[in-house]
Amino acid sequence: MSRGMGAMLQMKVRGLMFDPYNNAYIVILRDEDTSDMLPIWVGKSEASAISFALEGVAAPRPLTHDLMKSVLDTVDAKVISVVVTDLKDNTYYAKIHLMHEDSEYTIDSRPSDAIALALRTNTPIFADDEVIRKQASDELDQWLENLKPEDFGKYET
Amino acid sequence: MEYQESVDLVRLKVHGVLPDPNTETQIVILRDEQNADILPIWVGTAEGNAIRLALEGHVTPRPMSHDLIRSFADHLNVKVSRVVVTDVKNNTYYASIHFVAQGSERIVDSRPSDAIALALRTNSPIYVTQDVLKRRGGGNLDAWLEKLGAKNPGKYQA
Repeated sequence: MSRGMGAMLQMKVRGLMFDPYNNAYIVILRDEDTSDMLPIWVGKSEASAISFALEGVAAPRPLTHDLMKSVLDTVDAKVISVVVTDLKDNTYYAKIHLMHEDSEYTIDSRPSDAIALALRTNTPIFADDEVIRKQASDELDQWLENLKPEDFGKYET
Repeated sequence: MEYQESVDLVRLKVHGVLPDPNTETQIVILRDEQNADILPIWVGTAEGNAIRLALEGHVTPRPMSHDLIRSFADHLNVKVSRVVVTDVKNNTYYASIHFVAQGSERIVDSRPSDAIALALRTNSPIYVTQDVLKRRGGGNLDAWLEKLGAKNPGKYQA
């Protein structure tokens, strides 16, 4: 299957942290081979959707991404991969690849939705290596240095 | 498979979404077409925002979660035919989404907030069963809503 020009790195969700400076959450994706990290800032409800899946907690009623999965299951569509494809003006873009009746579909998504769905469907998460190069790692290091120990722990998986 | 809509189901429209000043939640106000019956459903902030965005016709630069579900449906040739608020237990509402795919109907369980957010994005009708409408809580609802509306002028109207 074609995924465009760039090389793809397979990422694991390393953890979810609260960023007290921006009052937002950060999903940390990490390539297990190269240790490359990709932090993605998400809102509270998006973080919560990812956190439910990370912790394997089943909500009493289906949450939005459970519904998303159940819609796909109902018509026998399978999520084959999700890819963080681009970074522009501090905004990340992603695509979800689906198989349905022997055809592949590529659908635009926010990374938070793509990750929340990938975790619920045991689908691999990729990042375009161009995206990892684009995100200023210096900035991340500096930011991580500023974090106090108590900012970790609770959200790290 | 039209079931007995006139007997069992009442069609509702989304009248508005307003913040509940007493809690961190929002209230989705559904009304029937004659404005005779009203069904308020309490939802979380994110859920309320997902509905408000669709009501106000906002197009966000990136697809939000319910835009993504609509996009799945569009790509896979699945049509949302209706959503139904099916039950209320301990002040919690339950809903289902009806799809038509490959000529047959599929029904998926959902929270009402997701069902409504999706219905608004797919121009699908929203229904409630007569039974749920009868059992909805709050005897003094109209007075309460009036008070709330007076406190939040402008926000009450969709």
